[in-house]
Amino acid sequence: MESRKPRRHSIARHLNKLRWISLCVVFAMLVLLPFVSVYQTYVASHAYDLLSPSEKRLYDVMEALTSPLTDEPAEALDAIKGTTWSGNFFGLKLTDPLAALGQLAASLTVYWPFLLTAMIPIVLTVVFGRFFCGWICPATLVYELNSSLRILLGRAGLRPGGRRFDPRLKFLVLGIGLALSAATGSVLVGAVYPPAIIGREIYYAVALGGFGAGAVFLALTLLFDLLVARRGFCRYLCPGGALYALLGRYRLIRVRRTVEDCNDCAKCNGICEFGLNPMRDGFGQECNNCSACIAICPTDALTFTVNIRDLSDQGPGHLGRGSRSLATDAEPAPERAA
Amino acid sequence: MRRRGFLARGTAGIGVAAAGALPYGLARLLAPAAQAEPQSRLRPPGALSDDTAFIEACIGCGLCAEACPPRCIAFTKREGGGDVNTPYVDPRIRGCTLCGKCMEICPTEALTVRRRDAIDMGIAQIDRAACYPWVDKGVCGACATICPLGDKAIDFDFANLYRPVVKHGCVGCGLCVEVCPHPSLPIRIVERSKETVAPHRV
Repeated sequence: MESRKPRRHSIARHLNKLRWISLCVVFAMLVLLPFVSVYQTYVASHAYDLLSPSEKRLYDVMEALTSPLTDEPAEALDAIKGTTWSGNFFGLKLTDPLAALGQLAASLTVYWPFLLTAMIPIVLTVVFGRFFCGWICPATLVYELNSSLRILLGRAGLRPGGRRFDPRLKFLVLGIGLALSAATGSVLVGAVYPPAIIGREIYYAVALGGFGAGAVFLALTLLFDLLVARRGFCRYLCPGGALYALLGRYRLIRVRRTVEDCNDCAKCNGICEFGLNPMRDGFGQECNNCSACIAICPTDALTFTVNIRDLSDQGPGHLGRGSRSLATDAEPAPERAA
Repeated sequence: MRRRGFLARGTAGIGVAAAGALPYGLARLLAPAAQAEPQSRLRPPGALSDDTAFIEACIGCGLCAEACPPRCIAFTKREGGGDVNTPYVDPRIRGCTLCGKCMEICPTEALTVRRRDAIDMGIAQIDRAACYPWVDKGVCGACATICPLGDKAIDFDFANLYRPVVKHGCVGCGLCVEVCPHPSLPIRIVERSKETVAPHRV
């Protein structure tokens, strides 16, 4: 046992950086695409000379950005359009499963061309679980930065709220949302779903001059996360998170703890945005495979595996309890690594 | 004892249900229901003719607006109740050019691809008591000149070449409203069942 060397430099440790890049790219695209759309309308109008100076600046910047890609911006830039709620990617239409389900509930009629656009995300969710929540959702970027703000507030002596509720509450939110959608005949879940709100509001702000009601809603959820519960909206209220948790319950790709390498330092439990218990194999359907716990684990005890079930609690890690020979126990655990 | 337990459970259940419904109540509160003038809220081309069905089908993704070359599609942003985040065209600001990109990009049934002359956003109606040529205040013809459908939709009166007359080929794109130079906009888009000549208002 003593001679067992922890595996260093496994690739999975770097996935968290990749995840942040992915989140930033998605968010940047959501900001860029409305500008592209506005630029295309300027191109289509064939009236550069009639634009105001600020519009000309936008035109010039977007022309500089897109001219390496295409000579015909009015047509070719239509290849990528939309948001994570529903988008068009080189002719491939992709839709959030929640949008498909919400629309199905609102209209109570099956329109296959639309439902099929949600199939690829559904299949990916069945394999990877709530990966959308951790890797793509533009709101996750905002909420994780908000979580970092909690730490800054804590350092400033303020106490952000740390309540815990039952995570099954969000299934109720999803159910009520679908029932209300069916009753009122409008896709209500879209109005309370942060990634849909963010995509929409950025478009409104850039192209239509001004935020809508969703911006206020998003600000309130950020306050909720700050004052009531860490990542509270995603954990307890998000209807999309509820849907992905259900779809990803028997996901193939899971994080697993190697009990022989675990030293019970509990950093994984501290970093887990969803308040799960990786140190005692408590992942379940809530885990969004964000890999933050893998990245922070000092002994590389956590890795991704292919399995449809979590291990049941394997008990204390074998490197804990007396055999504290690792370098990590000398330094205090950092509060959070971004 | 049992009754008390039942009551406590019932109260807790109602509390949990209220917590679950809270986000939706909040969203509705932030976008209160509002009545808009119908002539300033045309649905984009290819929209389901029943507006209730349109709201049921629309997921508020904004793709139609992102694809729209003249950027004529706007959204109910802070009002409308269940109508919130659905697209509309206000022809007083900008009319639709009938390019059809929104119909192609819409993922749902809300906008479906149609032939140009099968589009039904409404029909233009002219108030002959205000329109410049109709009251002999000069020649104009802006509406007939801009019309993408030509003389199937709007033509000049036989007797006086500059007096516009709307025909039933009009699909209600609203470009004529956009270009009309008269400040009171004597041309407007109304429901298709209505007259193409405004009832005289004195």
